[in-house]
Amino acid sequence: MSLLKVIRINTKHIFTKHNETHTLYISNRKLSIVPSVYDQENPAPKFFSSGIQVLLKRLTRPEFSKVFRKRTNNNTAVLKTPVYKFLTDEELNIEKEKANTNADRLLQMPPVVKLHEQINDVLSKDPALVGYDNSTYMFTDITFGVANEHRIIVQRNPDGTLESCDRDTRKRLNQIYFPMQGRKIREPKVFSEPEKFNGLLEGEKYEYILDRACVQYEPDERKYQEITSITYQHIDLHSKFDLLRSTRHFGPMVFYLTWHQSMDRLMLELVQSGVVREAVLLAALRQAVHNDLSNGEDYNALVSEILPRPIQLTKPEILSEEDIALDTKCTELVDTYINTSSSMKSQQALALQGFREYYQQLVDLSRGLKKAHGNA
Amino acid sequence: MATKILALKNFVHSPFKALLKQPVSFNINNLKCISTSPVFCVNFFNKLPAEKLWKSVTSVSNAGAKKGRGKGAGRIRIRDLNRGQMIGVGKVNMLWPGLSAPVIRGRELLKQQRLPDDPERMEKLIKLRDSMTKFRRLKLSPIERGWSGVRMPGRSLGPPDPVAGEEFTGFETKVLQLRSLLIMKGTLGRTRNYQAMVVTGNGQGLAGFGLGRAKEASAALRKAKNRAGKKLMHFDIYNNHTVYHDFYTAFGKTKIFVQKQNEGYGLMVHRAIKEICQAIGIKDLRAKVEGSNNLQHLVKAFFIGLLQQRSHQQLAEEKKLHLVEFRDENEFYPMVVASPSKVRTKEEIPKDETLDFIQYVMNDKVILKKKKFPPFYKTMPHYELYLKKFERYRNHEKIRLNLKVEYGEMKSFLTDKYPDEKVEKDD
Repeated sequence: MSLLKVIRINTKHIFTKHNETHTLYISNRKLSIVPSVYDQENPAPKFFSSGIQVLLKRLTRPEFSKVFRKRTNNNTAVLKTPVYKFLTDEELNIEKEKANTNADRLLQMPPVVKLHEQINDVLSKDPALVGYDNSTYMFTDITFGVANEHRIIVQRNPDGTLESCDRDTRKRLNQIYFPMQGRKIREPKVFSEPEKFNGLLEGEKYEYILDRACVQYEPDERKYQEITSITYQHIDLHSKFDLLRSTRHFGPMVFYLTWHQSMDRLMLELVQSGVVREAVLLAALRQAVHNDLSNGEDYNALVSEILPRPIQLTKPEILSEEDIALDTKCTELVDTYINTSSSMKSQQALALQGFREYYQQLVDLSRGLKKAHGNA
Repeated sequence: MATKILALKNFVHSPFKALLKQPVSFNINNLKCISTSPVFCVNFFNKLPAEKLWKSVTSVSNAGAKKGRGKGAGRIRIRDLNRGQMIGVGKVNMLWPGLSAPVIRGRELLKQQRLPDDPERMEKLIKLRDSMTKFRRLKLSPIERGWSGVRMPGRSLGPPDPVAGEEFTGFETKVLQLRSLLIMKGTLGRTRNYQAMVVTGNGQGLAGFGLGRAKEASAALRKAKNRAGKKLMHFDIYNNHTVYHDFYTAFGKTKIFVQKQNEGYGLMVHRAIKEICQAIGIKDLRAKVEGSNNLQHLVKAFFIGLLQQRSHQQLAEEKKLHLVEFRDENEFYPMVVASPSKVRTKEEIPKDETLDFIQYVMNDKVILKKKKFPPFYKTMPHYELYLKKFERYRNHEKIRLNLKVEYGEMKSFLTDKYPDEKVEKDD
């Protein structure tokens, strides 16, 4: 798939690019997962647009017990003794606010951007220097306070040309002078050896893979996009979305699936677990990304109704009338989505039918309870 | 010494033979010179039985015993000189059919005959006898061992005996102290009593300690164990691993500062407190004992401290404030562990009230934290020299590890260029 795209865009780099994708393709032949990268249209403007960011964050369904789960990454032999404080209500609210901002920090999504382009920037050619030395000279500006991507790194080749370094060399030199914690100069074996990578996938260590890839690669690197692509597809294939919920990788995964028009399995999972509101959000995301749904305005209208409501972490036991009205609207809309735009119509329709029956029981129960209590 | 004792043995075991030296008719053919006249050798070896002879060697005078003589390293012990000897086998290696050998071997009828002498026989005997001279301690397996060797403190006694048919399942008793007491009695004078202190518990919050006195050590231990089983107390354990909060507790002159710890810390406490914690089921704790080390006071102080703990809910109710837990491993997420029924506002809190949690639970007692001084060598010139010298090696270990990860051996970019020059193995 990516090979065809590459041929169309750039016939010059076909051999190198073909080889790169080929290795990973073979490694996952058993599952027949072909990585696809963002190499045509730039996804960044859409990904960073505020509407889509809000949808992605909401779809992450952050649960604080998982966001703030036990992490032992500070290399201490023994855990520190917990600190206890007596707090008034106001102080507790301030602390909770702090925790919310902290959660935002922990859930900040890795950016989704287009693949970078090769640097071909010849600064000067000095024929007088031809044969001066048989090694290439690297020059790095290590001035304090310059961002890694804007740092001047040039090389003088033995034939006398002075040019900007290519991406790989830049990354290596940046890592040597300004090491990033956790990033290795040589590629870790987890990513270079397919058996090890597949072992992690089989073991469902998705979050570990994605975290490690975030540290090792830049988001616009081909390798990063391939690794994340394979991981997302593996998750999608096995419907293991819950493993990534409440983590910073859920948003990019949903975006990836939507971008590649393969979010129907996620939609099925949402309908099966009875979260129709999120199903509407997902459809709205598709509308925002591709603008290919017939009744796009309805989705946007409903999204603005859903977003102010609190996130449903567990299935509700008693419903208010407002909830019932909203959920009914959502169900209708999901139904139209399934009938018009879904590629897994029969399964999703079946799941929606199951949800409707369950929901009707719940509605009867809560209305009956209300009547019994006498506040109807 | 050994030869002397051997000679002695000859007299002890065959006084009559030596006394009479009477030849016996059936071994004539092997012995050359025989005297038929009786010889009387009279000395105390022949007159006294072995028991008395040994006593004369090993006994210590009454005055000496009071001074402690005849004890410890130089003590002479009674040896069993019969050990390793068999009837029919002696210095002269004779074959006695029916005694030291069968009468018929195969189809052949065996005859008495002298076999070649065994030169090692005597050495073996002496070695065996020498091995008896040393005192052997009773050996315990490392699992059964207590705090120190075969002594009782720290050793396990098993569950207390059932009370009214009720079994103590899952209980384990540990000895904390076993000592002898001397008491004066009107008729008997000074008599010896044993006193034992044990702790028993099921590791799930139920534990108790007991004190027992008896004439015998085993009886004292049994009494203490059963008494401990009858005085069980229940303690709540926070998250199944530690106490609810730091506390200070004292009994007599013994003071204990107990600090709550996070999971995985272990028990950094006095050994008796460690046994108590294990009996209760506390897994992570730090405690510092100050003042007297009296073990019974220590045990009592710790139990009192545990009993006086306040649960988080109680603390929140006392303060009328939320009690919030912040854990480093959870990115300091504010976990509300207890909320009172009514919360005070900031205006309702008096200015001089103790709000610091640790200060509050320690009842305003402040632990003296001594300043840590740098070690003496850090001010010396040689340390500076060492730092300078080893600065260049500071990263080597990391690099070695990385190389081993990458190539499986120590290798550099020069290895391929100079394959003959191998890296020296570092061990």
